[in-house]
Amino acid sequence: MPSFYQIRTSLSIIDRIREINIFLICLLLITFLFGLLSLYSVADANFNPWARNHLIRFVISAILFFIICIVDIKIIFNLVYTLFFINILALVLIMFIGTETYGATRWIRIAGVSLQPSEFIKVSLILCLAKYYHSIPIIEVSKVSRMIIPVIITLIPVGLVIIQPDLGTSIIILIGAGSIFWIVGINYKYFILAFLSACATIPVGWQYLHNYQKERVFTFFNPERDPLGNGYHIMQSKIALGSGGFAGKGYLEGTQSHLNFLPEMHTDFIFTMYGEEFGFIGTFLLLIIYLSIILVSFNLATKSRSSFGKYLSCGLIFLFFSHVFINIGMVMGLLPVVGVPLPLISYGGSSMLATMIGFGLIMNCYINRDTILAKEGFID
Amino acid sequence: MKSKNIFSSLDKANTEKLINRRVALLTIAQTGLFSILGARLAYLQIYKHDDYSSLSEDNRTTHRLLAPPRGNILDLSGKILATNIENYQALFVLDETGDIYEALIAFNSILPEKKIDIIKILETAKKSSKFKPIKLIEDLTWSEFSKLNANVHKLQGIYPSVDFKRYYPGKEANAHLVGYVSSLSENETYNNPFSKLANAKSGKIGIEKSSNLDLRGQIGNKRLEINAFGREIRELNRIESKKGQNIQLTIDRDLQSFCYEQLDGLSGSIAVTNIHSGEYLALTSAPAFDPNKFYSGISHDDWNFLTKSLYKPLINKAISNHYPPGSTIKPFVALAALEKGFDPNKRINCDGSYEIKDTSTEKGSKSFHCWKKKGHGPMNMKEAIQRSCDVYFYTLAREIGINKIAEVCKRFGLGAKVFDDFVEELTGTVPNKEWKKRELGYNWMIGETLVAGIGQGYFLATPAQLSLATAQLVNGGKKINPKIIYKDSDLQDQNKSIKNLADTKHLEFLKDCLFAATNEQGGTSYRSRLTGKYQFAGKTGTSQVRRISEKEREEGIIKNKDLEWSRRDHGIFIGYGPVNNPKFSISVLIEHGGSGSGAAAPIAKKVMNFIFKYKIDIKRIVITDA
Repeated sequence: MPSFYQIRTSLSIIDRIREINIFLICLLLITFLFGLLSLYSVADANFNPWARNHLIRFVISAILFFIICIVDIKIIFNLVYTLFFINILALVLIMFIGTETYGATRWIRIAGVSLQPSEFIKVSLILCLAKYYHSIPIIEVSKVSRMIIPVIITLIPVGLVIIQPDLGTSIIILIGAGSIFWIVGINYKYFILAFLSACATIPVGWQYLHNYQKERVFTFFNPERDPLGNGYHIMQSKIALGSGGFAGKGYLEGTQSHLNFLPEMHTDFIFTMYGEEFGFIGTFLLLIIYLSIILVSFNLATKSRSSFGKYLSCGLIFLFFSHVFINIGMVMGLLPVVGVPLPLISYGGSSMLATMIGFGLIMNCYINRDTILAKEGFID
Repeated sequence: MKSKNIFSSLDKANTEKLINRRVALLTIAQTGLFSILGARLAYLQIYKHDDYSSLSEDNRTTHRLLAPPRGNILDLSGKILATNIENYQALFVLDETGDIYEALIAFNSILPEKKIDIIKILETAKKSSKFKPIKLIEDLTWSEFSKLNANVHKLQGIYPSVDFKRYYPGKEANAHLVGYVSSLSENETYNNPFSKLANAKSGKIGIEKSSNLDLRGQIGNKRLEINAFGREIRELNRIESKKGQNIQLTIDRDLQSFCYEQLDGLSGSIAVTNIHSGEYLALTSAPAFDPNKFYSGISHDDWNFLTKSLYKPLINKAISNHYPPGSTIKPFVALAALEKGFDPNKRINCDGSYEIKDTSTEKGSKSFHCWKKKGHGPMNMKEAIQRSCDVYFYTLAREIGINKIAEVCKRFGLGAKVFDDFVEELTGTVPNKEWKKRELGYNWMIGETLVAGIGQGYFLATPAQLSLATAQLVNGGKKINPKIIYKDSDLQDQNKSIKNLADTKHLEFLKDCLFAATNEQGGTSYRSRLTGKYQFAGKTGTSQVRRISEKEREEGIIKNKDLEWSRRDHGIFIGYGPVNNPKFSISVLIEHGGSGSGAAAPIAKKVMNFIFKYKIDIKRIVITDA
């Protein structure tokens, strides 16, 4: 009898390092540098407090990235459920011991470092779903019985995040999970069904939204409704971007941002400040870089021969994409204001860590593209 | 087992395809969505750039208007009638006080005697921006202000500050003429750039009102960069405000004050005119008010007093109230008669009354009485003016008719505004037949001609008009341009063509008559004559306020002093001086003073004496804006 795994033992540490895609790393590094520049500007040409921390966090995240790159995929594969369980546990825990900021309980302090478990659950859920779909026969994905488990493991973190409350993150989690469901080939009829039932539950769900969340939705549909209240931020954000023009107002010269017309400039609205100072040239360049990251990553994902690698990579890429799209769409008034950071640019340690872990996993899947992983009750 | 494997591998191949297709679709969707972002960016940053740029500019900049200092008002020698003085005040900035109550308590401990309306201040504070300085208290004395400065470290968010306020050193003496300023009224705010100033004031009466546009200057402007909370970051640029023009009046401050003193306790007006230039050296009205009180809002009690007082201190009696000129009209009626060819030497007998037919009365006639019950006896024109014989002028008036009298009076400036400068000025009334038909709808009656001949009935004139008419009567008939404000153009056009108003022969004769009325025995103002180097001459007038009924006349006319004040006759005097080289004309009006000779002429004497003593060679000193 053949063994459960057909193991490729030929990959040494050196081989793995050699396999790392330098181009993707360069793109990530450039994006991070844009973030560093912006955070320096936000603090009125000061390295403190944000740019400095951003750099430190990037260094830590980069180390983690490399560790994940060179770890054997099987170790990760075996740890998936454990990690997911720990993460869920953390989400439950913060309901009791979490720190409250701006009316939301999102942070947990471990050894002097504040972490946001909801940032990591995005990645661990995708890992979890990827492993699940890797493990079941591929032809059975559209079976209702095979859908119960993935739906439950998706809804648990979504529910836990929604009560924090953090609508943005829970939407991102749903989108990430949805992308996996799509990729594994679940019949498109189910997507239509899910969409319709989602529409049907809007009136019910609406009542459970917090007032500020309702306001944001109202404001999205009519920003001029309350130009000094909720509409103010989005108005000011558009003014900042628009006044930046083609070439921008110049680095450190953004009046909207430096005169405090913009909200949350170092986190969710950092793109606005960047756009005001660097103009269309800058924002378009950044869009191109983000798109390049996505396309390069897809290219790497398609190389993966194992379903787990492919699902995981594609899911993580789509997760990354949805952050970028929602954040930029939000500051331009295309989408309602939900708290979603701009990956690698917004100030935020957990977000940075989660993003780099994500890319570490994508890279790992690419490096281990020929590794064959075991499937549940199915012998290849 | 094997077949299943084949099956599954076929299925697997299909599903692999499906997965790859789905991945590809996802990639395409993401690229597509990115294009939407790109398009939106292009729309905002390129297509709508101009719109957003101006919005951003509006966001970041704000304007602060800079109030210009108001021009000064000066008298003919450059003495100050109205100026701006430092106003010591305390301001507070809400954002910097921390706790406003604590700050106010601290302020109170430094200046305990100063009362602050805390409720009112908090109300204004609530309405305005946190960063905007709000006035806490003003009109501090220098010692209070020094105390505040010394203790400023104890006052968080409260600052001593110096502002300017309007100051009238002459107080009551020039109140009506110079006027006062106070906050803009609602109807002044329309289309008025000054309405945007925090502390805008405008002239409400007098010169302050008429020359408001010249006096107020030009608003300056500074452009500031502000942040989202309205805090000032830096000044971007500034256009300085321009001080208003100085206005020089023809008034002499000393003479004006002297005149006001003479009216102390009385209600009336004095006007003094330079008979050659038409410059008014004094234009006084009493009682008056302190114009300084209006600057920061007059108190309720003060306002009540001013509006309710019987003496009407808010009315400028020199131009805004008119009176029957009484006997002061007689020289003009005489002139009308002379122009009609009336012989001045012809004697008319005065037996105390003049009868005309009137079928409406029982007697079939109506009597018009002379002020002297027993009559003056036979009078020629000079004697009639000297003694102010009413019967003589009834006869004269009847002979020449109302329209001729009106024509002469109008020629000399009655019935029309003297100045262009004051909206509050009245025109007075010079009645004639057409006027009555037009204004009242009735035909003129002969009796009305008679009373017009002695300046009663419909006749109304302001003291300023009487002074002007007198000036033109005694300056050789030259038409003069009355003025109260010097304009730069005055310096050039002094040698304009002179228009003669009347035959100099007649005017010389009338001057003799006026001389006799004051300086010869039997004249109505003989008791008020001056006997020194310079003499003056003039005509008294007593204008009736009430109608004297037949019954009253039979029972004996009640003496003025026994009547209540508001029913007593007005005392009027018009005159000129010095007699041998006339320079000034004067009109004095004492409301309800009883008689011209008793109330007005003695005051005219004092004023003329003052002029002869100190102001005989008075001239303008041209003040140029430094």
